[in-house]
Amino acid sequence: MPTAARTYWLTTSCRIRRKDQSLLIERDHGEHVRIPITDVRDLIACKPVDVNTSVISLLNQHHINVHLLGYYGDYTGSLTAADTATSGETVIAQVALATDPERAMPIARDIVRATAFNVRRIIDRTLLKAPYTVLKNNTEDAPDAASLMGIEGNFRRSAWEVLDTKLPDWLQLHGRSRRPPKNAGNAFISYVNGIVYARTVTALRLTPLHTGIAFLHSTMERQRHSLALDMAEMFKPMFSERLLLRMASRNQLKPHHFDVDSNQAMLSDTGRKLVVAAVRDEFATTVNHRELKRPVAYDELLYLEALKVTRACLEGDTYKPFRIWW
Amino acid sequence: MISEQDVGGVHIKYLYHCPRQLWLFARGFRPEATSATVQLGEAVHDTSYRRAHPVDLGSARLDDLDGNLWVHETKSSSRPSPADEAQAIHYCYRLRLVGVDTQGAILRYPKTRRTQRMPYEPDWDERARTDIANVRTTVAQPLSPPRPARTRCRGCSYFDYCWSQ
Repeated sequence: MPTAARTYWLTTSCRIRRKDQSLLIERDHGEHVRIPITDVRDLIACKPVDVNTSVISLLNQHHINVHLLGYYGDYTGSLTAADTATSGETVIAQVALATDPERAMPIARDIVRATAFNVRRIIDRTLLKAPYTVLKNNTEDAPDAASLMGIEGNFRRSAWEVLDTKLPDWLQLHGRSRRPPKNAGNAFISYVNGIVYARTVTALRLTPLHTGIAFLHSTMERQRHSLALDMAEMFKPMFSERLLLRMASRNQLKPHHFDVDSNQAMLSDTGRKLVVAAVRDEFATTVNHRELKRPVAYDELLYLEALKVTRACLEGDTYKPFRIWW
Repeated sequence: MISEQDVGGVHIKYLYHCPRQLWLFARGFRPEATSATVQLGEAVHDTSYRRAHPVDLGSARLDDLDGNLWVHETKSSSRPSPADEAQAIHYCYRLRLVGVDTQGAILRYPKTRRTQRMPYEPDWDERARTDIANVRTTVAQPLSPPRPARTRCRGCSYFDYCWSQ
């Protein structure tokens, strides 16, 4: 995102203390680390972390969010800084856009199509051609957001079947399962999805938008950041499925990177570090942006996407969801 | 939409720099916090003329007012611009409103170590009032003003917003 600051990933359990204007990360085993606060954009806690109020007030002053990933690697919540970027005028425009079915439905439909486009682009273009055409036709006359999500679910099921054919036996998904993920492949995808979602929340918090008011997912349901769910949708395949395919074909993932029980699976400590490092590097990959005419990191794409939604709300531009263009 | 008292130095600066920027700024969209250029400007501010005492006029905040009632304004750019001048004039006007008879303004450019002295002129109050009126009409427009030529957008913290599709 557009600053010198960066994301810090906490992959071991630790205590965060405040030392003047810096963060002091105290780990049980290993050295303490000092981080100047101006270098932090957000923190992602993959393991239990202790914080106290003086740390929180420092984080709040600098508008830094801490995203928490749970035991199974799913997103469990955030310590969010006070909502200073949100602007009343933008939120009112956003509500007007989201509550007007005439204008919100095309956006929701576009999000579903763009997601399917990206999934097909990542997994297999030829094998997913037919399901993609079906999805395009069915979304044409879908009456509401719920049926759009149903159509997307159908497409996703065929996409996962195709994905299984490209994975080694032990990594195959056999259908998507969450909370807890049933096998190694699902554990991997859940974990990366959680990270992408968390990063989307950070991107949205930099814009004046309200994270709860969405177009596709139902607004403010169960205290989730629904807009972040909408926006993370297009990016999840680019990180989760793609990294899974890549790391499997490079033989980087080994069975010992997962703790597998009879009915659930999660990343082990070494696996978590490996995956987090891979995701972090992936976020830093750059691609040349066609309009901005400069290289843009993958995680900056999340922010640019949030800006596009802002423009749609504030200025009534048509919003074109992200499609992989390279 | 905003009252005369709410118009501050930043509004005046943006009015001269780019009306669209002003329009967006007034709607509460402020991406400056993430802009490296703005961070540089803040750093220049923090490291130059450290004995200056900022004067807070509510919406406007000027860098320093010395004992002889000169307004001081520090700029991180190396090139003087009409926006800098208008900003200084605005501050003088605001000070006169609260009964401080300023002598004029001094613009300081630490990067090139230049200063520009602007003694008070009688037409300043009129200019300041026109600027305020212009700010208010720009902000009140229902549609956003168009983008300026891309070359003028360099270094603007709204660049990503305006130019990515």
